[in-house]
Amino acid sequence: MDLTAQNTAIVVDSTADFPEAAERFPNWRMVPLYVRFGDESYRDYVELGPHDFYERLRVAPIPPTTSQPTPGDFAAAYAELAGYERIFSVHIPQTLSGTIQSARVAAEELGDKVRPIDSGTASAAIAMLGFAIQRRLERGTTDEEVDALVDRFKERAGLLFTVDTLEFLQRGGRIGRAAKFAGQLLNVKPILTIEDGEVVPLKRVRGAAKAFAEFQRQFTGETADGESLRVGIAHAEAPDRAEQLRKMVVGERPHAEVEIVTTLGAVVGTHAGPGTVGLFWFADDA
Amino acid sequence: MTGLELARGALASLEQSRQRIDDLNVYPVPDGDTGTNLTLTCRAIVEALEGSTAHDQAAIAKELTRAALMGARGNSGVILSQIVRGFAEVLGEAGAIDTPTLARAFRGASDAAYRAVRRPVEGTMLTVIREVAEAAERSDSTRAPAAFLVSLVRAGEESLARTQDLLDVLRDAGVVDAGGAGLVEILRGLAATAAGEPIPEAPPAPELSIDAIHQELSEFRYCTTFVIEGEGLVREELERELERLGDSLLVVGDPTAYKVHVHTDAPGDALAIGTTRGTIAGVEIANMHTQTHGREQRLLHVVPDLVSEVVAVVVGEGNRKLFESLGATSFVEGGQTMNPSTADLVAAVERTGAPEIVLLPNNSNVIMSAEQAATLAGKPVEVVASDSLQAGLAAIVSFDPQRGAAENATEMREVLDAVATGEVTVASRDAQLNGLAVPKGAYLGLAGGEAVSVGDDFAQVVTDVVERLLAEPRGILTMLRGEDAPDVDALVAAIAERHPDVEVDVQDGGQPHYPLLLSAE
Repeated sequence: MDLTAQNTAIVVDSTADFPEAAERFPNWRMVPLYVRFGDESYRDYVELGPHDFYERLRVAPIPPTTSQPTPGDFAAAYAELAGYERIFSVHIPQTLSGTIQSARVAAEELGDKVRPIDSGTASAAIAMLGFAIQRRLERGTTDEEVDALVDRFKERAGLLFTVDTLEFLQRGGRIGRAAKFAGQLLNVKPILTIEDGEVVPLKRVRGAAKAFAEFQRQFTGETADGESLRVGIAHAEAPDRAEQLRKMVVGERPHAEVEIVTTLGAVVGTHAGPGTVGLFWFADDA
Repeated sequence: MTGLELARGALASLEQSRQRIDDLNVYPVPDGDTGTNLTLTCRAIVEALEGSTAHDQAAIAKELTRAALMGARGNSGVILSQIVRGFAEVLGEAGAIDTPTLARAFRGASDAAYRAVRRPVEGTMLTVIREVAEAAERSDSTRAPAAFLVSLVRAGEESLARTQDLLDVLRDAGVVDAGGAGLVEILRGLAATAAGEPIPEAPPAPELSIDAIHQELSEFRYCTTFVIEGEGLVREELERELERLGDSLLVVGDPTAYKVHVHTDAPGDALAIGTTRGTIAGVEIANMHTQTHGREQRLLHVVPDLVSEVVAVVVGEGNRKLFESLGATSFVEGGQTMNPSTADLVAAVERTGAPEIVLLPNNSNVIMSAEQAATLAGKPVEVVASDSLQAGLAAIVSFDPQRGAAENATEMREVLDAVATGEVTVASRDAQLNGLAVPKGAYLGLAGGEAVSVGDDFAQVVTDVVERLLAEPRGILTMLRGEDAPDVDALVAAIAERHPDVEVDVQDGGQPHYPLLLSAE
């Protein structure tokens, strides 16, 4: 089957931190996860935006928790896209959330139409995988080409993030091997990545300036300048750090395209915490 | 008996155990919300049935399936929705609902649940629904449905108990599977409702064992346990007093002897509460730091054993904590005026568990004995020749226990080359240093080992040292305050104003003789 933007849709979940999905592309939808403060539950972005979330996080007596979309939520999104013949449903890894499980249950109802994809990554990087698929749809593509793209993305896309404190990752149980990497007393910044769906520590440095320098070192070490280089940036209440990273990217790799700069929504923010900043890249050259 | 009544029974039973099930949740992600998710899923089903106008069995079954699908919360909720769906599909097509039909419905439920999960893991709620279905098929089909369901509750409980044997992460955490526990509560609610009985009380939360309570994260450092023996001891009184010292408190026993367990930073105070009321015995005080560590390893099963550890020579309780927070596990007390022996260092290396060691001498006078110790120790030791405590502290930041000692040492030495260090001390006698006359009792400021400032004004001497350290562009300035050090708040504010790009980090080091140790990176 020839896949085009006219006959193929893309669904992301809200951990892609790309709430404007449906506005930007008529063939996209975003399905929100839930964030829960006590007994009150909100749909990520839809009922609780990042700004209100971080305000609330500051004063919440008990920390929020998150929960995956229901299979029904996905079924509703797929139903909205009934006019399309194929749906790529791109999600946060199974190891970090049960979201893709709900998507699979809903997808099964529709036979082969929906292909759930474990992106192996998080936040804006999920949206970036979606963008890469979209670029192919716009020029015409096939399932096989998309499969190859997903494999290449998982293997080669870069992801770095740093958190102000490991507390949030720890509380949500999403810390993996970074558990040992504490060092809160000395303003130690862990530089983290996601590998095989798991949060993995790369290095620890002291202070925001060194964290930035480390981002720069890794980014320049692993990328070459070129128009195929795509970059994304996400932050939780740290617009200055995001802007500093953007400037660094533009300075070091002037031909690259910074295709998304976004705020971490309530769900990803629950697990990363304020002050988090992430840098994502993918050389889409095949 | 309507479907709605049965669903309400299941919900009521789940609600009672919601918290207990949340607490069991360690798999697949230990985020403690399984009970809540199952309850919300079940509540969505009840609400949908309450609003339903369907009358025939097939239509109700369809609504049930849809409600479960729409309302499913969390991974456990999604699996539950598939169980409900498989169950409802059989009932929807059946005529009378009798025991053989129910047995087929449980089989349908189990099959649907397994189909929904890409890689089924045993020791989870999947195991429980499958073993319940198998028990249902084996069961006497002439039994009345209510009695049949009661027998399935038992089968479910037995299956649940076995989840521990099937999934290491559960055994290590000393819990059964949370989703499976939820399923058993649902069965219990269904069975009671079918029999026309009230929902039985939830099984009492098992008296928390000390192992289980350790699964909680604690901000306190020492796990302290002891027994107080005496006469007429009052548990509530003990709890009230001990509560103030920390968390994870457990006081169990009888008025003649209570076993106390508490996480606290003040184990001595906890023991004192015991000795004012009776005699204490069986005292155990363990550093939680290493225990929590161990728990995370067990829970996540992804952390390989430590490849290397750091042995550090330190002086000052605060400094020791800083090194510990960055992964040092074995310490030798010592510094400028008290140099440890080679034997002390070898002994510290031998106390470690990791196969390779990085040794931080943290003083120029200790480097040689450290190098000697490295040749004498029974395992590979890399000496990272830190000539001051603050330099060693900068170096240990880049230590990663999952790398070998040599690889760590290479990176740590690079840090040493880049860090600038200084200190402020008090002259112990009249002296001449780098052409400066240093009267006894004056503050003496050194940068890079050279005397750069002398005087009675602490702030001025510190400022001189700081300016020297920040002569090259730096990102972070660390100050370790010694014991009885003058206040530095005003100084820090002034430095921040002069060097807005530098982060200033002040820590209580607690070292003697040096009111301030400084480093700039």
